Amino acid sequence: MTDLFQVVPGNSPLHRMNPVTKIVLTLAVSVAAFLTDNLFVLLFLLAFDLMIGVVGGVTRKAFSIFKGLLKVSVFLFILQALFVRRGNRLFWIVTDEGLLTAAAVVLRLLVVCLPLALIMTVTQPSDIANSLVQVLHLPYAYAFTLTTAIRFIPQFMEEMSGIMEAQTARGVEFDTKNAAKKLGMLLPLCVPLLISSVRRTGATATAAKARGFELRTRQSGYKRYGFGAVDLMGFLVSAALIAGAALIR
Amino acid sequence: MITAEHVGYAYRGNVRTVSDLSFHIEKGEFVALLGENGAGKTTAVKLIAGLLRPTEGRMTVNGLDTAKTRVSERAKQVGFLFQNPDRQICENTVRDEIAFGLRAVWGKKETERIRERTDELLEVFGFRGDEDPFSLSRGQRQQVALTSTLAPRPAVLLLDEPTTGLDYRECTRIMEFIRRLNETEGTTVVMVCHDMEIVLDYARRALVMAGGHLLDDGPVKEIFRDAPLLEKASLLPPQIVQIAGRLGGEFAGADDAQTLSSLIAETAKKKGERA
Amino acid sequence: MIDIRSLTFRYDGAEEDALRDVTLEIPDGAFLGIIGPAGAGKTTLALSVGGIIPHEIRGDFYGAVKVDGLDTADNKLTDLSRLVGTVFQDVESQIVSSVVEDEILYGLENFGIPRDEIEERMDFALGQVGIAGLRHRTISSLSGGQRQKVVIASLVALRPKILVLDEPTGELDPSSSRQIFSLLRSLNREYGMTVVVVEQKIMLLCEFAERLAVMSEGRVVRDGTVREVLGDIAGLEAIGVNCPRSALFSSLLSEKLGREVPVAVNADEAVETARRIIG
Repeated sequence: MTDLFQVVPGNSPLHRMNPVTKIVLTLAVSVAAFLTDNLFVLLFLLAFDLMIGVVGGVTRKAFSIFKGLLKVSVFLFILQALFVRRGNRLFWIVTDEGLLTAAAVVLRLLVVCLPLALIMTVTQPSDIANSLVQVLHLPYAYAFTLTTAIRFIPQFMEEMSGIMEAQTARGVEFDTKNAAKKLGMLLPLCVPLLISSVRRTGATATAAKARGFELRTRQSGYKRYGFGAVDLMGFLVSAALIAGAALIR
Repeated sequence: MITAEHVGYAYRGNVRTVSDLSFHIEKGEFVALLGENGAGKTTAVKLIAGLLRPTEGRMTVNGLDTAKTRVSERAKQVGFLFQNPDRQICENTVRDEIAFGLRAVWGKKETERIRERTDELLEVFGFRGDEDPFSLSRGQRQQVALTSTLAPRPAVLLLDEPTTGLDYRECTRIMEFIRRLNETEGTTVVMVCHDMEIVLDYARRALVMAGGHLLDDGPVKEIFRDAPLLEKASLLPPQIVQIAGRLGGEFAGADDAQTLSSLIAETAKKKGERA
Repeated sequence: MIDIRSLTFRYDGAEEDALRDVTLEIPDGAFLGIIGPAGAGKTTLALSVGGIIPHEIRGDFYGAVKVDGLDTADNKLTDLSRLVGTVFQDVESQIVSSVVEDEILYGLENFGIPRDEIEERMDFALGQVGIAGLRHRTISSLSGGQRQKVVIASLVALRPKILVLDEPTGELDPSSSRQIFSLLRSLNREYGMTVVVVEQKIMLLCEFAERLAVMSEGRVVRDGTVREVLGDIAGLEAIGVNCPRSALFSSLLSEKLGREVPVAVNADEAVETARRIIG
């Protein structure tokens, strides 16, 4: 679980792409997904997402994220299918329209979440922040908060698993199947975790200030985030996705 | 008591963090696990605790296979003190914290027995029961964690760098307590420790690890005299052993003098002989 | 030089002073070790040198800390940072990037080091700390000792005159701990960097530091060369500070023989002493 949020270094076209382009591409996929209700277009977009993983050289990770999202999707699908009452009844209270709407909702969720997670695995958080500051003129304080938050997730997970391990050693049975019971056991442990987390972020801010945080401007970044052929491709693909989805709907 | 038979562990099909680990620890032993970071020491103690299950071989504690024992069953036998007490402590008062481990192991219904044991421990350690553990110093929190760990009287006590971040006094207090527990109650102690002075003072046997393998296993004093072995494991012997070892060439007997007082006596005797 | 005058500090909300009337002079180029029991005020003192206290951590601050003549209370943290680099106890929280290179760049970028100088500073910092091979690695793939070195390199790149470290070897094994101290020694000797290090491991201090300051209950109770401070073993024990066995050896030997035996700061000296006595 911890390695889910860790960046996989590499030199694929996706790694070389300007982080801003990657964000544009992610947004384009999302916009396209919301423009269309056509299940085939959504399926195509899903395939495109997985392609991103292949191009980025993180195929295995793409599929493991996909699998993770699928679990949530099944739950959502059932919920949706039960709630929509329009259309012709197929069996019990489930209607044909209900099934179609549920499929669209779930596909959209997958299509939107997958590239976001994938981009995070091929881009260092600091590159995202620096490029947003340089190219899109995002104020640095926001960018810093963003990167700190992203970097924080794996640390948080590690701490959490450390705490669970320590509690397991004392005889607390986390391996229970009962989800509610497990949550009940975990909640009291979250308090010290939150306290230590807040203390940690405070220390990070202080450390940054001690290294000139307040002097940083848009021009400070040493690395330059230029746009190349890969980025042009990225923009063209983004435009094509949106146009395609809008036309086919 | 603890038996490892060709135990190997690999995390999700990745490289093994330990391999072919075989040893046997008798009841009442005081064993130190030595080696540099990444040598596999922590993995080894977690395997003994059953927090990790061997991917190869077999680990048994008190005759029970750790891979087949339930958490609660195992916690009755094995107490585990972590490096960071804050991962263990989760209650708002010292009393509740000590009772927490007892409840998990003995069951919630044993209220009377739990209260008695908690009272007893509070008195032994001189804690105030209503104190908030998080208002205590790190050393005191480590003591609270230790108290809570040994409350159910586990037959085996595992310690993963128990003295990290503690000052000299806190460290001595904790280690002296563990020594007494080992000597009077016969609790088996297995300790991961980077401080060779502590290892020399408290442990009797040492397992030396490097790169996930067991390099050697023997009495602490012999291990510390084996310079090539220590080099291989990136370890430095305790200072007193260094001194004794280097004096050894000049006067016989000093090589055995690994304790300060015998080294002093030896030096004084030699002086008398020469004079 | 660092000039601490009658410094008293109490954290907001605390019931007692963390530092009580501390006066300490640390000359340029010194390698000073600070030792003492938990709660003695070591971290508070370390954070006061670089101005983290009182700028980032609030409380009642009396007295003065001057670094190279700059009063820390009157100067901005950013200006003080050019003079003093501080390594916090929790190294993990000090890292702001996810790749080694970015971490070194961070301070250089912020302080507006000219682009053509950045590469040179980067090479200097990485080379000096001995982690040139780690430049493109992600922080998460590094060991504790390597992370510690990255943090030190990120400060060395800024070429401060003073480096303050709060228990840099706390989580490290003996061989990585020694590596960190060897590194500090080379920075101290080759570049004349003043090193102030809070450390519990007395043997490392005896081997690498030149001066020792012993703290107890918010005060500096001993301050001198390592040899001077180790001269009073009984006093140190009473404070709750451990002594190397070599020093215990020389002191017990002196008791046993009923005559003065010079303090043995390390194993070498103890061996020499014993040989000299035996004759």
